[in-house]
Amino acid sequence: MTVLILNLIWQISTLAMVALGLAIVFGKLRIMNMAHGEFVMIGAYAPIITSNLGLPMWLQLPVCIVTVALVALLFERVIIRHLYGRMFDSLLATWGIAILLREVVELLFGRGYQSVSVPIPGTVDVLGAQYPLYRIVVVAVILVGFAALAWWNRRSKVATQIKAMVGNPELAQAVGINTGRLSAAAFVFGCCTAGVAGLLLAPTIRIEPVMGIDYLIRSFFALVVGGLGSLEGLGLGVTLIAGTQSVIGAFASQTYGYLAVLTLSILFLWLKPDGIRSSSR
Amino acid sequence: MVFVLLPVSLLLAVLLLIPQMFGDFVAYQIGLYLIYGIAAQGIGYLWGKTGILPLGQALFFGVAAYATAMTLRNVESLPAQLGLAVVVMAAIGLLAYGLATLIFKGRSESGPYFSLITLALVMIAEQIANTASGLTGGFNGLSGFNSVGGLDPYSTFYYLVVSCTVIVSGALLILNRLPVDLVVKGVADNEPRLQLLGFATHRVKGAAFAFSAVIAALAGGLFASHQGIVTPISSGFGLSAELVILAAIGGRFHVLGPLLGAVLVGLASAELRDSFPYWEIVMALGFIVVVLKAPGGLAELIEQISRRFWTPSAGEPAAPLNAPSPRAPRILAPLVFEDVKLQIGVVRILNGITFETPTEGTVSIIGPNGAGKTSALNTITGNLGVTEGHIRLGNAAIENRGPHAALGNGIGRKLQVPSVFFTMSVAENLTLAMLAGRAAPRDLFSRSTFGWESDALTRVLANPNLSLQGDLAKMAGSLPQGHRQFLEFAMTTASEPTLLLLDEPCAGLSPGETAIMTQLVQDFQSQSGGLVIVIEHDMSIVEAISDKVLVLHQGQVLAFDTYKNVRANPQVQSVYAGATK
Repeated sequence: MTVLILNLIWQISTLAMVALGLAIVFGKLRIMNMAHGEFVMIGAYAPIITSNLGLPMWLQLPVCIVTVALVALLFERVIIRHLYGRMFDSLLATWGIAILLREVVELLFGRGYQSVSVPIPGTVDVLGAQYPLYRIVVVAVILVGFAALAWWNRRSKVATQIKAMVGNPELAQAVGINTGRLSAAAFVFGCCTAGVAGLLLAPTIRIEPVMGIDYLIRSFFALVVGGLGSLEGLGLGVTLIAGTQSVIGAFASQTYGYLAVLTLSILFLWLKPDGIRSSSR
Repeated sequence: MVFVLLPVSLLLAVLLLIPQMFGDFVAYQIGLYLIYGIAAQGIGYLWGKTGILPLGQALFFGVAAYATAMTLRNVESLPAQLGLAVVVMAAIGLLAYGLATLIFKGRSESGPYFSLITLALVMIAEQIANTASGLTGGFNGLSGFNSVGGLDPYSTFYYLVVSCTVIVSGALLILNRLPVDLVVKGVADNEPRLQLLGFATHRVKGAAFAFSAVIAALAGGLFASHQGIVTPISSGFGLSAELVILAAIGGRFHVLGPLLGAVLVGLASAELRDSFPYWEIVMALGFIVVVLKAPGGLAELIEQISRRFWTPSAGEPAAPLNAPSPRAPRILAPLVFEDVKLQIGVVRILNGITFETPTEGTVSIIGPNGAGKTSALNTITGNLGVTEGHIRLGNAAIENRGPHAALGNGIGRKLQVPSVFFTMSVAENLTLAMLAGRAAPRDLFSRSTFGWESDALTRVLANPNLSLQGDLAKMAGSLPQGHRQFLEFAMTTASEPTLLLLDEPCAGLSPGETAIMTQLVQDFQSQSGGLVIVIEHDMSIVEAISDKVLVLHQGQVLAFDTYKNVRANPQVQSVYAGATK
């Protein structure tokens, strides 16, 4: 039972980390980033890149952020830049980007799956159950990260500036917002959080070029269920999606968990497309 | 007919030559690409015309493929096989129609959410196909059956694929030439206007979605017969995505575009996939470039080049024909508001409005900005539902029904910002307006409907002060503001409403144009003998046209009387201090 609850917390917090970037890119910038999962995937390849370059292990995080940021910046400046305010086109173009990234990674690292070793091995005793120490550390890091983000979000005007920029780019420029830099920064930041999520997940999963789609789908549905535009919505969404999948997955089967998530998402998309918490308030 | 016969016979000739020139194996390969192309044609129709992007078309493709596999494994006789195929396609069409109308009901956009629903549905289908081994054979799929009618997949079956390709293409080309095409394109162009013209757009979208689903199902059935095996991939997300890419690269605005995309991409992949490792990357880049720079795809480029050498003539115009009279019963009745309240979120817009208009004449609504004038009209047409209270037109309760039903109550509406079909010509705009409230479903499938005329519209067109007659061939989006106002007025009055709602008809008009518009409104009222409600800020116009004036202030009725009495009303004066002349 303890393990089940710990697994649930692990699933929810990692999905929150994965979905955070999409909450920024889709929720704030209104870009339906179908390549979001591919940035998670690139982040997960960071340990492999690091060891291929012969760099020490503690450089995994810088390597991850630099790689993801460069890729995200390139695509933002060349492609995404033209797509603000064109949601359908953004969906299609980022889909193309997703295919592109998958194929490039496949050419570089091969089609087969890889795995990386756990950087913090061992287990700890939690209320009588043995649980991997690494997972506990990751959950703690994510919780601290979200607390910091919520604190910063309350004090900063950036979210308002982004809203102004997406709503009316010309007026935003007129009041002194550097829209080019702001949108690029927001997009790159969103993708980097996805990359870091990939890095954190890497030791616990199979790393392969096509791994992104599953994270993309669950992130999208978590945002739809929770409602775009607020951290509370994100929290509610990931709890519902990851919770449904883990609980039904544990008591019935993985397939039923997955089907339940899809069904829940369809119901929300149909009956309550603004989610539990909509961004207008 | 040349518009249909010429491309169809060219297509047929090219496809029939392929086995002769390149042999059976190439024909076998091209047969598969054509099957994907047929499904992509369905996507092209739905996406190109209505703007709905289906991300789960493999759901229908896959279900039909599995159904075909099961049929071919268990049913011997050809007539029974074909009969079952028809039943499966009809069931898929009905299912798709029901699904889409249910989801689109009460909405006036096609947003990305419907696309995500189709995406989730196809993922459910893929999951079920993978796990329900008893039914679908699981991961290994269903195999071990012969092609339909015992045709040889490597030779004779190709001709069945060709016939289906030609039939689907011909049907799509014919649809392009019928009035229904304007209705379907109107969804993507300006759905709220189409609803006010009396079209239940959720049903139009449902029908278009069902049509594309049936086409996908036909392709899926052919696929099973052609490949001799059906696996979960054929009902999966990957195939759905690929079909969309084929439609986009080939060109979704053109009937033959998706076919072209499917065959070219298929041939190029087969040629290059093994020898050129960067092929998939080139494909992805090509797709991105199409999305960003060439939304019309290859077909659009080819059409632009061919236009330099040959411009198709528009064809003969349909013979003029007296349009049938509007189907809504002509009832002259007072419009009654009973304590109508409207609240959106925490904002209270209407706070208990009560009034009763006369059965005929002109009523002006005035009031400061934010008084609730436009919102009041929105509750009459059903664009906004009321929170409390009732709105009646005679005996009919008209609050909280969809805007597509407003014309059925005899209500026509001109919006504040001129709302016309911007990507259509003025003539096409007027044709759609002539269909409004008059056309039965079968009229939409007859070219003679294009010739419909009514005395009222002919009079407006013949008005020497208006330039509509000279603008007929122009795109509505290229018209200046004033001409759009007159176009929208002509469109709204073409359906001969008994209650005409005009929201600032003179906004953006020059003084000369304002005089013409005022005259048009007065002429319409005297000829129709019905009720006209006008929102207007210009007091000289209000004075000239109004039998009664309704003054709204902060969502409440401040006064409802003749112009003279309203003007003398001290409360109105205090709200309007200095605002009147």
